Amino acid sequence: MGQGLLTGVSTDLATPVTTRPPPRHLPARRRHWPRVRHFAGFAGPGVLVYVCFVLAPILVSGWYSLTNYNPFNPPTRFTGLRNYRLLFTDAEFLTSLRVTTILTMIVVIVPNVLGLGIALLLDRRGWLYNALRSVFFIPVVLSSVVVSVIWTRLLDNDGLVNQSLRAVGVDNPPGWLSDPAYALYSVGAILSWQMLGLCVVVYLAGLQGVPAELHEAAEIDGAGPVRRFRAITWPLLAPALTINTVVLLISGFKVFDHIQVITHGGPGTGTTATLAYTVLQTGFVANRRGYASATAVVMLVIVATVSGIVLKVLQRREVEL
Amino acid sequence: MKAVVRPLVATAVSMLFFVPLYVVCVNVLKQPEEISRSPASLPLPPTLANLRTVLGRPDRLFWVSLTNSVVITVSSIVVLTVLSAMLGHYLARSRARWTRWLTLLLLCGLMIPPQVILMPVVQILRLTHLMTTVPGLVLFNVGYYVPFGVFVFTGFVRSIPLELEESATMDGASRFQVFWRIVFPLLRPATASVLIFLGVWIWNDFLDPLIILGPSNGTTVTTGIYRSIGQYQANFGGMFALMFLATLPVLVLYLALQRHFVKGLTGGAVKG
Repeated sequence: MGQGLLTGVSTDLATPVTTRPPPRHLPARRRHWPRVRHFAGFAGPGVLVYVCFVLAPILVSGWYSLTNYNPFNPPTRFTGLRNYRLLFTDAEFLTSLRVTTILTMIVVIVPNVLGLGIALLLDRRGWLYNALRSVFFIPVVLSSVVVSVIWTRLLDNDGLVNQSLRAVGVDNPPGWLSDPAYALYSVGAILSWQMLGLCVVVYLAGLQGVPAELHEAAEIDGAGPVRRFRAITWPLLAPALTINTVVLLISGFKVFDHIQVITHGGPGTGTTATLAYTVLQTGFVANRRGYASATAVVMLVIVATVSGIVLKVLQRREVEL
Repeated sequence: MKAVVRPLVATAVSMLFFVPLYVVCVNVLKQPEEISRSPASLPLPPTLANLRTVLGRPDRLFWVSLTNSVVITVSSIVVLTVLSAMLGHYLARSRARWTRWLTLLLLCGLMIPPQVILMPVVQILRLTHLMTTVPGLVLFNVGYYVPFGVFVFTGFVRSIPLELEESATMDGASRFQVFWRIVFPLLRPATASVLIFLGVWIWNDFLDPLIILGPSNGTTVTTGIYRSIGQYQANFGGMFALMFLATLPVLVLYLALQRHFVKGLTGGAVKG
């Protein structure tokens, strides 16, 4: 009963704002004044900047996408849904959609799988494992420009990778970044290398939340390592899987830096041009801002839908301990 | 037997993973002709020529970029911390229905690709004469990253007992005083996460400075590296030296604050 009283009091006091509501007889403006001032003082600046640089631009992009806006080719005219209709027969757009899908799938799957393996390998105490964990995380804090330049050099036709391949007897190693058949997968590999550490660290944290007693009990019951992983570890890693997948999905979907630095969308036409890259090319190089905005809006819709669905599905399989 | 296998395998895998970074480190200290001949060999004898060339460039590319990056990163994260801490506190403590919508609207910002907003942003900055300026880029950073700050701070504020704030209010403290003297000091772990993560992200940002800052008022470290790729086509020692120097601040920060990185990152990975 005492507890009930306490919670009652605290919810009463939980009114965020003032010490005491202003008297009723004041005019509405005066009564609301403290609340308005609280909002303006605490939330106002942040909300204002967010509205100016994120929310309003999204709406403006939506408007641009219905026009033929090109800053160097006025006048701007309202063209309705023309841009969207053009998109679905535009080879460049369809290619970039395919490229983005493949790249995102690589980026979601490879670091997740390898990251889990490495986390299981490093899930021990001691200085060695701490140091190795730090090694895997370094690329995560590196700039994607730096990572791109390093790998461009390594995967060059005469770079370290091909030198090593020749040394072990491969006569004609592929041009990893210059051959249209390999370039997209090479970029995927580079991205996976950079994101791997993130997955390792998140999975390691997840593994540390798995109680040792469960494993011991299962071992006594005669469960082997594979069985224990499937029955205990994997279900308990569900939150870590959710985080990794959603983060990788969103970052895989908006890959731009690596493409801009490593391949410029090539080799050939658009073999590695992601949606994010195509939007900026169309918008800032060709200056077809209206058309680029339509592409960007489609991009936003896809990323919101896909990550929303994936989040829902993955969260449903998270279990309570 | 088993006790030896795990450390050996773990070390081997990590070394393979580390090769690209090893290549940068050794090649910074090598002569150009040695780099193309044997990219993986140790730098014997080491030379500081590459570092000296980059630091002594007549156009001061490295120094200008470094100054720009420091100014942009520091002012962005300071403003972001202040604004998102206060906004996060407001949202976490508010019981009104519409603030829940506002929170949701802010969190949507976490997944918005910059491509969707950059074209109008350029227009807005041009109208306000902030295009190609450092303050323009800082303002955009604040708007774009405020959702992350709010996300971290709202979660953390909820873990702080409301009674602390109530008693300070009863003692006659104003709302600002309550926030800055009582609440903000308690938010230190959240503040650390926000400063560290946003610091690294903004330091490493490439697209936004490329478009908003442009080349005319100097580059940041990332766009500086990008724009000098052509000049260093034949001199990889210089390129590696430039990248090494540009990465050093982040790397030192990371190695010093590792635990915070991991903690900030894994807050949601384990169900408590």
